[in-house]
Amino acid sequence: MSIPTLQGLQTALSGLIAEQTALDTAGNNIANADTEGYSRETVLLEPNPPIPIPSISAQTGMGAQLGAGVTVTTITRIRNEYLDAQYRAQNSSLSAATTKSEVLEQAQSAFNEPSSAGIASQLSNFWSAWNKLAEAPASGAAKEAVVAAGEQLVTTFNQVSSQLSTIASQASEQYNSLAGPGGEVEDYAKQIAQLNGQIKLSEEAGQPPNDMLDRRDELLDKLSALANISVSEQPDHTDTVTFGEAAEPLVEGTAVNWPQELGASAGGRLGALADLNSPTGALTSLREGLDSVAATLASTVNEHLETPFFSGETAATLAVAVISAEVQASGSEASGGNEVAQEIAALRGGTAEQSYAALVEKVGSDVRTANDEQNNLQTTVTAINDQRQAVSGVSLDEEMTNLITFQRGYQASARTLTAMSEMLETLIEHTGVVGL
Amino acid sequence: MSERITPAMVTATTLNDLNASLGAMERTTNELSSGRTILEPSDNPYGASQIINLQSQLDGLSSYEDNAQDGISWENTASSAMSGIGEITQRVRELLVQGANGTYNQSDLDTMALQVEQLTQSIKQDANTQYAGQYVFSGSATTTAPYEQGENDEYKGNAETVSRAVGPGASVTITTNLSTLLGNGESSEDGKLLDTLRTIAKNMRSGTAEGKEALGSTDLQKLDGNIETLTQLQATAGGATDQLQSALTRNEDLQTSITEALSNTQDTNIAATTVAYANEQAAYEAALRAGATIVQESLLNFLQ
Repeated sequence: MSIPTLQGLQTALSGLIAEQTALDTAGNNIANADTEGYSRETVLLEPNPPIPIPSISAQTGMGAQLGAGVTVTTITRIRNEYLDAQYRAQNSSLSAATTKSEVLEQAQSAFNEPSSAGIASQLSNFWSAWNKLAEAPASGAAKEAVVAAGEQLVTTFNQVSSQLSTIASQASEQYNSLAGPGGEVEDYAKQIAQLNGQIKLSEEAGQPPNDMLDRRDELLDKLSALANISVSEQPDHTDTVTFGEAAEPLVEGTAVNWPQELGASAGGRLGALADLNSPTGALTSLREGLDSVAATLASTVNEHLETPFFSGETAATLAVAVISAEVQASGSEASGGNEVAQEIAALRGGTAEQSYAALVEKVGSDVRTANDEQNNLQTTVTAINDQRQAVSGVSLDEEMTNLITFQRGYQASARTLTAMSEMLETLIEHTGVVGL
Repeated sequence: MSERITPAMVTATTLNDLNASLGAMERTTNELSSGRTILEPSDNPYGASQIINLQSQLDGLSSYEDNAQDGISWENTASSAMSGIGEITQRVRELLVQGANGTYNQSDLDTMALQVEQLTQSIKQDANTQYAGQYVFSGSATTTAPYEQGENDEYKGNAETVSRAVGPGASVTITTNLSTLLGNGESSEDGKLLDTLRTIAKNMRSGTAEGKEALGSTDLQKLDGNIETLTQLQATAGGATDQLQSALTRNEDLQTSITEALSNTQDTNIAATTVAYANEQAAYEAALRAGATIVQESLLNFLQ
């Protein structure tokens, strides 16, 4: 048994094809170096089945196996699923913290503290106006000033309250637009379900659809920003996705189950938005706190007066209930009596002010906690993303090195082909001609 | 550290670092330009609530300071009115002593009586002294003049007091009850100054031996008693002024220490922040330089 004459050409050809595929793949990697969600690809090669050569040695009788070149098995993407799961879990938390911090920062700026326009400063002016009235209890101007300071104070309360309720309703609007029909959740879920179907078909045909897998992973990353997700890959290569502790999987095969109720700790942007507005949420407690300051202010001032100065018991409804002529400086008829004005001026630093200062401290520490949490999670997410990049990202240096390797490989295979050709030329052209 | 480093990672890290440096610089710039370390409550939640408390305390102190100043002005007005009354009373006493020594005839005594009556009106004028539109001797009825000009000597004010708050829970009474000196005139027979003056004038005009006798004895005694009462009232008013003065001094000390506490909480430490700013600027420049150099490097630069 001998070696097929043209085998060398075939072997050289398989080398050319393999090197060309590798070059193309490197080229594709370079082209996609900056594509979001792209995982670098690599060519898996395997040697062709060898040609058996029995008993070539007359002395030992031993045979051999002659290598028959190389085959491209598949082109695979390099990715670490474990890092993906980690990334998505942390990304949900980061997105929740970011949302919380954004909304609470808005609430904080609604308070406008410390400044000369905030409630604290207006409150102080209000006490000072009462003190002025105590100096000149019969003065119409001093009474006018008390009413004016009161008006300014209640206007500020009303404004802060309305800003806070705007922030709260914006949060729930945002929730509805993300989770509602045609929102991001539904949109991502539908795309994932569609990709599931296509991926299943490609995998069944034995062709790993790298680009579709990348796109599906990218969509899952985006979905993880909206709420906690968990992904399990099924034997048919479709992904089953559970979302925000909802009862049914959001995506199962090519089916989408949405809308659904999210669980109590849904996580992500949606979870944070729902949390902030929940009865125990940070935004709700700030609004309640402001209402309670307004109620305390009204009751502590009114209890010194026969004609109530303030009406309303919430920050939104607080109003000045008297005109300047009705402002009392004293309980007695005497024009110089000032004990009521003194009592009210002495409310400075009292319950209303202290509870307001505590509220400002609370909004400050809420924002600070949310910011700190966001910063910590950002660091974690960046670190995990770096690890993912280290595995899946395209390194141009590496690709350039590969290009040179494959190019050289291609050149060598071509040279082999030339050698084979020359060998065959000897056989075909020169065999049988002697002595010429 | 990861095994493979890709240009995307280097770019992302560089960008993150640049953002962080720039963020820190922006923050420091804000602190320097506003002069405040606490721009919003989250910068220092406890500090923010302290600022509210301290600022309110400071405003409260300045209210108390205002009250004390106002009280002092009130007392000064009242004291100068009382000094006026004192001088007039001394003048009456001189007339009384002259009238009592018997060398003057009845027409001289009538002239003296006229003078005493005019001086009585002057005293009532002094009693009607106002401070900032308020009658200082009407008790708490500050819009009512305590005495009318003319014959009616009845006190129109009340016995209530007016006070100024000079500190938390501390107040000083600023009203002087002048009716304890002036009284309600002759008809009341209360022996107070106005009654005394009317009696003196009457006795001067009487032309009787009892009348002349009374000038040197009971009238002089009553007048001296009235002067004694005035001195007491002046001392009380002086005491109130002293109280207000010392409240003012205490208030200033407190204001100084609270202003200092407030400044420590909210104001930027310019020296430290400027140094921090310089450091951040250097870090930012270094990050920019490194970024500009490293991001450009690649194997491509060296391949032929």
